[in-house]
Amino acid sequence: MRAVGSSISRVDARDKVTGAALYPGDIERPGTVWMKTLFAERVHARIRAIDTAAAEAAPGVLGVFTAADLPFNGFGLNVVDQPVLCGPGAPSAVPDADRVRWPGDRVALVVAETEAQAAAALPLIRIQWEDLPVVTGIEAARQPDAPLLHPSVGSNVLLEYHVRRGDLAAGFAQAAVIVEQTYHTGAQEHAYLQPEAGVGYIDALGRIVVEVAGQWAHKDRQQIAAALKLPEEQVVVRYPAIGGAFGGREDMSVQIVLALAVWRLHQRGIDRPIKIIWSRRESIIGHHKRHPMLARAKWGAAADGRLTAQQVDFSLDGGAYASTSTKVLGNALLAALGPYDCANQWVDGRAVYTNNVPGGAFRGFGGPQGHFIAEMQINKLAEALGMDPLELRLRNCWQEGSIQPTRSVLPAGVTIDPVLRRLRQEMAEGGDSGIAAHRPPFTVERSPFRTSLDASAPPRLRGVGLACCFKNVGFSLGFRDICHATVELYGDGEIQRAVVRHAAAEVGQGAHTVIAQVAAETLGLPVGRVELIVQDTAETGDSGSVSASRMTFMAGNAVKGAAEAALARWQDEERPAIAHFEYVPRRTTPYDHDTAESDPNITYGYCAQAAEVEVDPDTGHVHVLRVVSVNDVGAAINPQQVEGQIEGAVAQSVGWTTHENFVQQDGRVLTDQLSTYLIPTVVDVALVKPVILEYPDPQGPLGARGMAEMPFIPTAAAIVAAVHDATGVWFDEIPLTPERVWRGLQGRTD
Amino acid sequence: MQPFDYIKPQTLEEASALLLQHNGQARPFAGCTDLLIRIERGFVHPQVVVDVKDLPGVHDLLVVRNGDLRIGAAVTMNQVALNPTVQSGWPLLAEGCGSVASYQLRNRATVGGNLCNASPAADSAPALICYGASVHIFGPDGPRTLPLEAFFLGPGRTALQAGELLTAITVPFVRGSAGHFLKLGRTTIGDISLMNVAVLGWPDSDVPSGSSWRIALGSVAPTVIRAPEAERLLSQDTSPAGLEAASQAAAAAARPIDDIRATAAYRSDMVRVLTRRGVERVLEEIGG
Repeated sequence: MRAVGSSISRVDARDKVTGAALYPGDIERPGTVWMKTLFAERVHARIRAIDTAAAEAAPGVLGVFTAADLPFNGFGLNVVDQPVLCGPGAPSAVPDADRVRWPGDRVALVVAETEAQAAAALPLIRIQWEDLPVVTGIEAARQPDAPLLHPSVGSNVLLEYHVRRGDLAAGFAQAAVIVEQTYHTGAQEHAYLQPEAGVGYIDALGRIVVEVAGQWAHKDRQQIAAALKLPEEQVVVRYPAIGGAFGGREDMSVQIVLALAVWRLHQRGIDRPIKIIWSRRESIIGHHKRHPMLARAKWGAAADGRLTAQQVDFSLDGGAYASTSTKVLGNALLAALGPYDCANQWVDGRAVYTNNVPGGAFRGFGGPQGHFIAEMQINKLAEALGMDPLELRLRNCWQEGSIQPTRSVLPAGVTIDPVLRRLRQEMAEGGDSGIAAHRPPFTVERSPFRTSLDASAPPRLRGVGLACCFKNVGFSLGFRDICHATVELYGDGEIQRAVVRHAAAEVGQGAHTVIAQVAAETLGLPVGRVELIVQDTAETGDSGSVSASRMTFMAGNAVKGAAEAALARWQDEERPAIAHFEYVPRRTTPYDHDTAESDPNITYGYCAQAAEVEVDPDTGHVHVLRVVSVNDVGAAINPQQVEGQIEGAVAQSVGWTTHENFVQQDGRVLTDQLSTYLIPTVVDVALVKPVILEYPDPQGPLGARGMAEMPFIPTAAAIVAAVHDATGVWFDEIPLTPERVWRGLQGRTD
Repeated sequence: MQPFDYIKPQTLEEASALLLQHNGQARPFAGCTDLLIRIERGFVHPQVVVDVKDLPGVHDLLVVRNGDLRIGAAVTMNQVALNPTVQSGWPLLAEGCGSVASYQLRNRATVGGNLCNASPAADSAPALICYGASVHIFGPDGPRTLPLEAFFLGPGRTALQAGELLTAITVPFVRGSAGHFLKLGRTTIGDISLMNVAVLGWPDSDVPSGSSWRIALGSVAPTVIRAPEAERLLSQDTSPAGLEAASQAAAAAARPIDDIRATAAYRSDMVRVLTRRGVERVLEEIGG
């Protein structure tokens, strides 16, 4: 049996099912003490002074730490603008580090013998506040007189990009139909099973060790070392089992503060492991969300369906800090135009600081927001033209050699056309798992566990809709992406075992299994002879982040390269045969500031989906019955894992589109528990038919493309189109809460 | 979480004395699905929690001599919802109790606790009100009985006096009746009611329409309320026009609020929609 292309069991499955796998909150070390975080719980304020004396004197307390304890008080993935602990007194810091800018900002840490003692000491910390004016609206934040979140930046606009191509006025003049609309998408909470947690301690070599759940161990280490002004070798980041990530673990949560407390206590002669577990509420108020978006789009098409002009203006709510906003904006900029050829393209996109929870990485990374604009527009153009929406896409979609909006040729392997054609086939065939428009209603077995109404009661309406997308694979816009791997071969006559060293975070996506499969395939070994060392910055090279759908693509290439090199040494009789490989993909280039001219992305994956929905026109409930998701993944290293990613992405996107309503009022999160922020349950999500296409990517390892984000991206627009098909009403704002749909259907004529 | 003492008394007298002794600082509980969260989040700060699960009779779920159903204070939601006798004789109650939260929580949560919390969104209350249920209370002056409708005073407020606790619920049998509980949530399992409607109807040759009705509305007023005008209209006329008038009367009885889950306008209109659907289904079953 070949290793690649087989649905072998995941290498981590047994330990996770039996409970042997330890997540950060499960780790017990002798003598452990506990840490609690004092969150700001203020929307916008300056801290004049912090008095920790009473807290330090409280029972069981070993230490209280504030901004003054940080050698450098700042961090950030792309823009270093966030204080580790807000407050005065750090010898060096980001500008205005004495400010809090959203209630989830961190102000102080208490370490005590027990968690209860640490919690009891928190309210004893006295803070002198000076409240500042609050700005929470995307539009309000752009006004000239708006209060500034970061005065040193001089504006609440963190970054603005522009696409300028062709002649917009001429394009609209050629149009037979023009569609112009405003769109609004909401924030989304990652809601991973395991809230933020970690353990920190000093190891036998005197290094600070942080065991934590993250997405890029070496970047965590770099940010910890920078804040503590220590050499990176002085810090070890180790990833035990990770309970989901979805982009939500890219930013620093407990990493730096654990290291800080461990280091400061160590300097006082106290070497005790420190543990912290955020509550669900702390997790929800304390980490970034998917960016809310406000957009206006105007597109024109000729009578034959050919796009003549695309104009989009959109703003992302970046919240209090930059986080990954600049990169999310970069992705959304192109996504807002869809995978379509058009000679005249014009986009203005920006990320804006507000006093809301920061906007940051979340599966799709700007792609879902951008494509919501593009796919809503193309579906409305199809309606205006009286044309089949899939046919309209085929008349406009990219082909091999097409020029993207950045005036560069698309990376080879452009397959949106065959992906769309396969979706058409799936929709026409119907059958048990296909979706055929306008067929007689069929029966989907409903769960007997439903306890409240859904959309199944008469007089329900049904509809079908579709959408498609592209997703970049790997880091973009000139970032020097890199991935290290080492392969060691042991044995005499034949290879007894192969050790692979790699730093890919296993966040539940199956990265470690993919690494083992690629190594086994390249070496011609059974997967059982591959051993992985994959969770420790001291034992591995930098493999980059598990984000941007990049790890299968990057790690696959790196592991394949290292395995091939090790095999060559093995054949040269080296024992053990050890080879290191550093995979560097082709270089991309940054956007030109005024036109976005560039070669922005390494490569792309392509996806198209159809959704069938039921709508209860009286209550406004929308139930997504079925989704067919067609994905070109290049090569499915592990088909079962690919199917799992497709089903999971669709389920998560059904949540974003229909259920998940993240409510902030004047900067405060009102939905700060999973009882108020509802994610879909197993009976709320759709039946998903995953369709895997394998058109090899010329750059991919064994042809593979990254794929775990793209099945999230088109779902929202497909569902909204299906609701339109059912009701005749377009909903330009998501989530489609029952009340929003009910309101939209008032005055509807059947 | 603030520490508290846990006491599990063996007699009603002992329980009552404990509650009286720590008046205002003691909380009785059964399933603890609500109380523990409220303590953990700092909404309540009891010094003592009194576990009622060892008290006599609190686990009874039986039909007493006159045909009424008796539910002890510690009987769980699932014990009621999945009981064949309840399902055949009091189907509206089975639906209401089976709608609470999730299956796992219904293994802990009790009907008695649901009533004592006095949430206007309590899913067991509308059904019990439709059946004309009474609550049995034990206190310093011994036992007393109160109609359930008089038990609720406001959100989180009941008629329980110092030293009193709820011991059981009696649910009359309504001959020939059919009933349905319709709950509106944002997800199809697990959510608290945005609002709910319980409808009970039974043949009655003494009224013009041939059927009598009780309708109770949840989460649209400070307490669960009846919709008496809708009930009266249905006893006059169950034609489509009568049904529409009754549904609108039910909506007019509602006094909902705006909150982060829904607006008052939506909730009022949903009273109309769910009342109409509930009455239609009951009519089919009792042959209206």
